Amino acid sequence: MEIYLPIAEMSVNVWLMAGLGVVVGFLSGLFGVGGGFLMAPVLVALGIPPSIAVASQAGHVLATSTSSVLSYGREANVDMRMGTLMAGGGILGAIAGVEIFRILRLLGQADLMVALLYLLLLGTIGGLMLNESLRALFRTRQGLPPERPKSKRPVWLYSLPYKMRFPRSGLYISVIPPLAIGFTVGILAALMGVGGGFLIVPAMIYILRMKASVVVGTSLYQIVITTLVTMILQAVRNHTVDGVLAFILLIGGVVGGQLGIRAATRFRAEQLRVILAVIILMAGLQMGFTLFVPPEDPFILAPTNG
Amino acid sequence: MVAASLPPDIKQAETPAPYVENLPVAPTIAPDSLSTDLTQSRIEVSSSFQGAKVILYGAVFQPKDQPSDVVVVIRGPKASMRLIRKTQHAGVWLNSRPVVFEGAPGYYMAASSQPLDRITDFSHRRLLGLGLDYIAMDTSRENKVVTRYGVKDVVVNGLEADYLDWRRAVIRLKSKAGLYADNPLGVRFVDQNLFRAEVTLPSEAPIGDYTAEVWLFRNGQPVGYSEKTMTVEKVGFERFIFNSAHRHAWLYGLACVAMSMGMGALASRLFRRG
Repeated sequence: MEIYLPIAEMSVNVWLMAGLGVVVGFLSGLFGVGGGFLMAPVLVALGIPPSIAVASQAGHVLATSTSSVLSYGREANVDMRMGTLMAGGGILGAIAGVEIFRILRLLGQADLMVALLYLLLLGTIGGLMLNESLRALFRTRQGLPPERPKSKRPVWLYSLPYKMRFPRSGLYISVIPPLAIGFTVGILAALMGVGGGFLIVPAMIYILRMKASVVVGTSLYQIVITTLVTMILQAVRNHTVDGVLAFILLIGGVVGGQLGIRAATRFRAEQLRVILAVIILMAGLQMGFTLFVPPEDPFILAPTNG
Repeated sequence: MVAASLPPDIKQAETPAPYVENLPVAPTIAPDSLSTDLTQSRIEVSSSFQGAKVILYGAVFQPKDQPSDVVVVIRGPKASMRLIRKTQHAGVWLNSRPVVFEGAPGYYMAASSQPLDRITDFSHRRLLGLGLDYIAMDTSRENKVVTRYGVKDVVVNGLEADYLDWRRAVIRLKSKAGLYADNPLGVRFVDQNLFRAEVTLPSEAPIGDYTAEVWLFRNGQPVGYSEKTMTVEKVGFERFIFNSAHRHAWLYGLACVAMSMGMGALASRLFRRG
């Protein structure tokens, strides 16, 4: 069944789009990431203009994250204070990022930048996560106790001013690192058109060293707020949110998301991290690959609006 | 010798839009010798729109001994395009600065009863914009004023000799998307006086006003002209969404956010009960 998208001005197959929503939703429910880094490249490959793909998939990210955060929230696994603080930084970053993206697009360098960021960020994070989680998995297989972090927390986290208590995360740290992480992720999220879960989660685990049980719920909560603002910004500034596309994607997404949350209880955290690491690594390499492969046609038509 | 060393006239391929009054119509032929119509003058883009096929048909009142040729040119609304060229630097493919093409139609199809070069000569094709090679498009943003061969204030195109590569790329990419086409046998005579041509619009066809120009050629000269217009527009729900997104952007954005979060919350509730 084909349907015409009023903003993208083209027709797409409903079942294909809904199916994409289910798959990405399942993965985001399973791993607690927004899934934007997987969906945007697929949508673009299916012929949706990148600006519209990025803006419309925000609806999917928002729906699956809302659905997931409510599920996690019931189990008191969300640190609202930490999440709100990071989202504050994230919103400022997103505003800056949307402007940077607009300028890059005018210069015709946006897709190059996106490919580079995907390669660098997803490649690095995927590689680090894979290394760490494989090692953890290996140790549990051998019956060894889990590896203890060498120094429990970086000293500089404690030497910064404006300290605040985060009881849910079990932290008493300065507000600067969460704000800075939120801001950085906000910029990158706007540039790459993703929610930023794959950056937030490792930052929470490896930099802030938050209590593991609240990491996923809090990152989802932060993604909800940042994505909400990004979606409104895109609708108002660029008119690139396709409500019909967003609706189809999110219907599939919420179903997949709930299935993902259920499936998550059947796996061990280390196993999930290995799979997520492999997926992130592959997405990064696949995007980076385009930088080195001779293009089919050296000329490409760039979007005109914005 | 001097003439041979001059740079190629890179603006040559650009053509002005056809003007009916410029037409060297032979005075002996009455203008009503050609009569045409489209099966649809309004194409409604609804949720189920997957492109459209419109038939242009027409009648020529021609004498038996003097067969004539028909050229049909469909032009969509003008849209500027930005083209980027990828070039390899140290193994990495990088993008050039975009070149803006203005004035080219968002949709173009030239159908004719036989290949255009057999119907009329180069100057007519160029003047009337018949065929993909003669689509008018403008890269005047690349223009610069220089002094050449001692002549001051010469306007040249900054793309220089590469101009044709860029122009061909526009046509190649648009053709690939099904938006530009030459159809040298697209006009079919059903009988001696009646002809028809099929116009295929893909679902990506731009929204807006289209014109269908029909030229009648006899012995290489245009002897008749007819023009019809066609509108592609969004209707119903598609129109409502598009208008909301542009006229009430804040409300539309908030509605999209509310829909997304609402569906998420609903799913979370439903699954908890289940």
